[in-house]
Amino acid sequence: MSRSKARTEAHAGTDAAPGKRLRRRLFRRLTAPMARPLPQRRLFLLPTRFGLGWMVLVVVLLLFGINYQNSLAYGLAFWLFALGAVALLRGWRNLLGVKMTLRLPREVFAGGEARLGVILEASRPRTALEVHGAAAMASVDLPDGRGETVLALPAPRRGRQRLPMLRLQSRWPLGLVRVVAWLETAETLWVYPQPLELEAAHYRQAGQGREESDFAGLRRAVPGDSPTRLAWKQWSRTGVLAAKTFQAPPRQQLWLDYATCRGDLERRLSVLCARVLAHHRAGDRFGLRLPGLTLPQGEGASQRRAALDALARFPPSDAIRQGLPT
Amino acid sequence: MIGRRIELRAIPEPAVLADGRALGNAMLRQLFIGQCLILALHLAWMPLWLIALAAAVAGHRYLQLCGRLPRAGLVLRLTAVAGLLAALWLEYGILYGMQGLIGLLIGVYLLKLLETHDRRDARVVVLIGMVATASAFLHDQGIPMAVGALLMLGWQVQSLVRLAGAGSAASAWRETAWLLGLSAPLMVALFVGVPRLGPLWAMPQLDRASTGLTDEIAPGDIAALSRSDARAFRARFRGREPTVSERYWRVYTLTHFDGVRWSRVTPQALSATLARPLADFMREGRRSPWQDENDPPRFTAELLLEPDSRPWRPSLGTPLATDSRQRYLADGTLEGRAPLSSRTLLTVESSGQAPAHADPAGAAFHAMLPPRGNPRTRELAERLWRESGGDTRVYLGRVMARFGEAPFRYTLSPPRLGSRDRVDEFLFESRAGYCTHYASAAAVMARAVGIPARIVAGFLGGERHPDGHFTVRDYDAHAWVEVWLEGGWQRLDPTAAIAPERIEQGPQAVRDGRERFLADAPFSPLRLRELGWANPLRLAWERLEYRWQRGVIGYQRGARGELLARLANGWQAVRAWLVEVASGRGLAASLLGLMNIAAGTVAAAWLGRRMWRRWRLDRDARAQLLALQAWLERRGLESLPGESPASHLRRLAPRAGAAGPALEDCAHHAERLLYAPLDEAERRQRHRQLAVRVAEVQRRLRRRRA
Repeated sequence: MSRSKARTEAHAGTDAAPGKRLRRRLFRRLTAPMARPLPQRRLFLLPTRFGLGWMVLVVVLLLFGINYQNSLAYGLAFWLFALGAVALLRGWRNLLGVKMTLRLPREVFAGGEARLGVILEASRPRTALEVHGAAAMASVDLPDGRGETVLALPAPRRGRQRLPMLRLQSRWPLGLVRVVAWLETAETLWVYPQPLELEAAHYRQAGQGREESDFAGLRRAVPGDSPTRLAWKQWSRTGVLAAKTFQAPPRQQLWLDYATCRGDLERRLSVLCARVLAHHRAGDRFGLRLPGLTLPQGEGASQRRAALDALARFPPSDAIRQGLPT
Repeated sequence: MIGRRIELRAIPEPAVLADGRALGNAMLRQLFIGQCLILALHLAWMPLWLIALAAAVAGHRYLQLCGRLPRAGLVLRLTAVAGLLAALWLEYGILYGMQGLIGLLIGVYLLKLLETHDRRDARVVVLIGMVATASAFLHDQGIPMAVGALLMLGWQVQSLVRLAGAGSAASAWRETAWLLGLSAPLMVALFVGVPRLGPLWAMPQLDRASTGLTDEIAPGDIAALSRSDARAFRARFRGREPTVSERYWRVYTLTHFDGVRWSRVTPQALSATLARPLADFMREGRRSPWQDENDPPRFTAELLLEPDSRPWRPSLGTPLATDSRQRYLADGTLEGRAPLSSRTLLTVESSGQAPAHADPAGAAFHAMLPPRGNPRTRELAERLWRESGGDTRVYLGRVMARFGEAPFRYTLSPPRLGSRDRVDEFLFESRAGYCTHYASAAAVMARAVGIPARIVAGFLGGERHPDGHFTVRDYDAHAWVEVWLEGGWQRLDPTAAIAPERIEQGPQAVRDGRERFLADAPFSPLRLRELGWANPLRLAWERLEYRWQRGVIGYQRGARGELLARLANGWQAVRAWLVEVASGRGLAASLLGLMNIAAGTVAAAWLGRRMWRRWRLDRDARAQLLALQAWLERRGLESLPGESPASHLRRLAPRAGAAGPALEDCAHHAERLLYAPLDEAERRQRHRQLAVRVAEVQRRLRRRRA
């Protein structure tokens, strides 16, 4: 499957406006791929305001040299010009061949921030690289060819969130030019609903009532067993040292049901999210019933993840209105 | 505890604080040191209270950084600027003079630290600093200034690198060294290659009249002969060098005598008084319009002139031609078209003698004396004229002989002459003086009997350096007389009659009891003449200075053309050598051959590098596989996330047509190579097969696409 096809499929529904599509197509020409060294053709040199000021300074010094027939002023003007040219080249080399890979955040809740790990690698040491994306900025040095930083992206809404176009830039070494590369990734984030606690006392606290108290039988003792758990009576009777084993009481088994919550769609999902987290903390076995989707009962981290994923992927309200009953 | 302290010290101070905007302590210190460097460049020429200003601003900024003072408000900043303006006005009495403007620039640059809070401000400070440095070049362009400016440049660039986010001082200095080192050749190329223009518009100039030359002399007013060792100009001769007694540098002629002082009559004044066009007295050009074209020049001097706010140009005798347009005056002197703001090279061809052409102002103009005054001198002149029988030569010889007799003596600190008839007073009473006294008296004696005469102000002599250039200093200033005799002007130097050693050995020969030589320059390096070991050092430094001034500072239009011509000559020589080497085959063939060799070298290097990479790739099955995957990805057949290389190839195989079996084979070989325990022989064989199969995949897929 070709890359471009995948992308058009992904965005055919969302980016309908022609202007936006044009811009996207334009940007696709400008963006560099992730996880590969930045190629020359995707690096852009933009003068900064200070760079423009530097150019004006060179012209002023040159006029100074001309009008006063002053050789040292000529020399200074030429040197500043040459410095600008060399800085351009060195700034460009600073970004050329940098490889960016992303480490997606494990879980993101709406209203929080997605802490996107950005790993930069290069064959040479690099200095003062900045990663920008959606109003977030992080700077990083690659002293021995590798550096890592975290970009705190805002995650305002539940559901699928495209990763913003990332801008890797550097003003190194003099701040005269900004070397920029735009990077885009097809990966998306699933943002879980914002947990909404209704009544805190409604759930069992973590670990409460989970002590192993029901006698379940005997087993051969091994060194390290607690003396209180050894079956001393059996030992005196049979001469074989055994340890008593106990079982935890059966877990609470419950269903988290979309239909039993009140409020609009996002509020219901938020409540369900909070309950998933609370029941997972309490160690309960739970299942999830959503309109059109039922997650069988289960427990543990995998169940929590499956439930949260289901909540995140639940279609937004406008999609529901079209097909599904609320 | 100790460990922690060491750790803390190892962390470099950041240039910019954690909020990403505000400047840290370290950066402010950097900027302040930069300011001090630039102030040091200016300090020899600027008022010393600027140091106090810098210290005050830095102190305020430091206290503010400590939190003990609030930020400098608008009132404080405006007050500071007003105070600066007032101080400059008190210092110079005028604000828009060049000195005042430079002072204003430095002051504003120092005050800027008060409102330097973030990265942008710091960069503005650096930019202003560059302009302030350039303004220091107006004072002086010597080697010390250039070295200071280089230090400044390094420091400022390092500051900018720190601002751009260098982690530590060491990395900032390393980057600075790279930047300066890489840009230096480009700077040199630009300096040499960029065409030079003349001044585009008039700028305010520094006011300086450094030499001891005046265009008005009043013998006896004060003993005001400049005895400073300041350099007036330097000269190097092409061809013959003048002997000691030929080094008469003419600068001005003084033609008007009012009974007390001799003064210069400018061409403009002459043209106005005589109601004749200015072109009669002054013309611009590269050749003298007054002298005969066929007159061969005797001396060709390349002058390195010091900046001066008066446009005088010295010439050895009468100027004949120059390498740039100059003003040729009818009295046989030379004037520039504008004052010099920096050291400039000028080549002058000259005759080495007084001009042979008559001055258009006329003989009567040069024989004018005030109707009354100096009666004893006139009486003496008439007596001598009668005794010499009306023969001009004999008369002048007698006048000179009279000066040569005792009790006339040469002194640099003669008694003041206060009466109205100063020439009388000098000739009959004091009988002591220096060149202007004697020249004035001789000229008056000549004019008294109707011989046209004028005083020439200029320089006599100059110190010859071992490498052949001459330095003429202020204390070499001299005045002598020119008289119109037998259809030409003749030089008449009364000082030669009274103090021949002044002519032969220079002004240091005159001791006059007290040490009068260099009286105005107690710390002059010229005093090192006395020390045997130090004099070579002084001469070496002066030679270096001369080369610097001539080669770098004097590198303007003329010098640029010369250097480019030399480079062109060098290229011609190389070409000639090539033709000689490739004799018979012609230039084109040899050039072609050279280009072939160069292209061949480049191609061989490229091929070698490619083959080396290829060989490395082949050694590693994994790398080979990754390369194939990357190749596929470029053609839109990328792998899915989480897919192994082998399964990627296998997934593609059914849809790849002819390349399918090869893809399957690649996957198989790769898996065997990566995971199976193979003996060396099989490993090598599979490597070879993998390479063959990979090439096949690429070939077939490419064909399919096409």
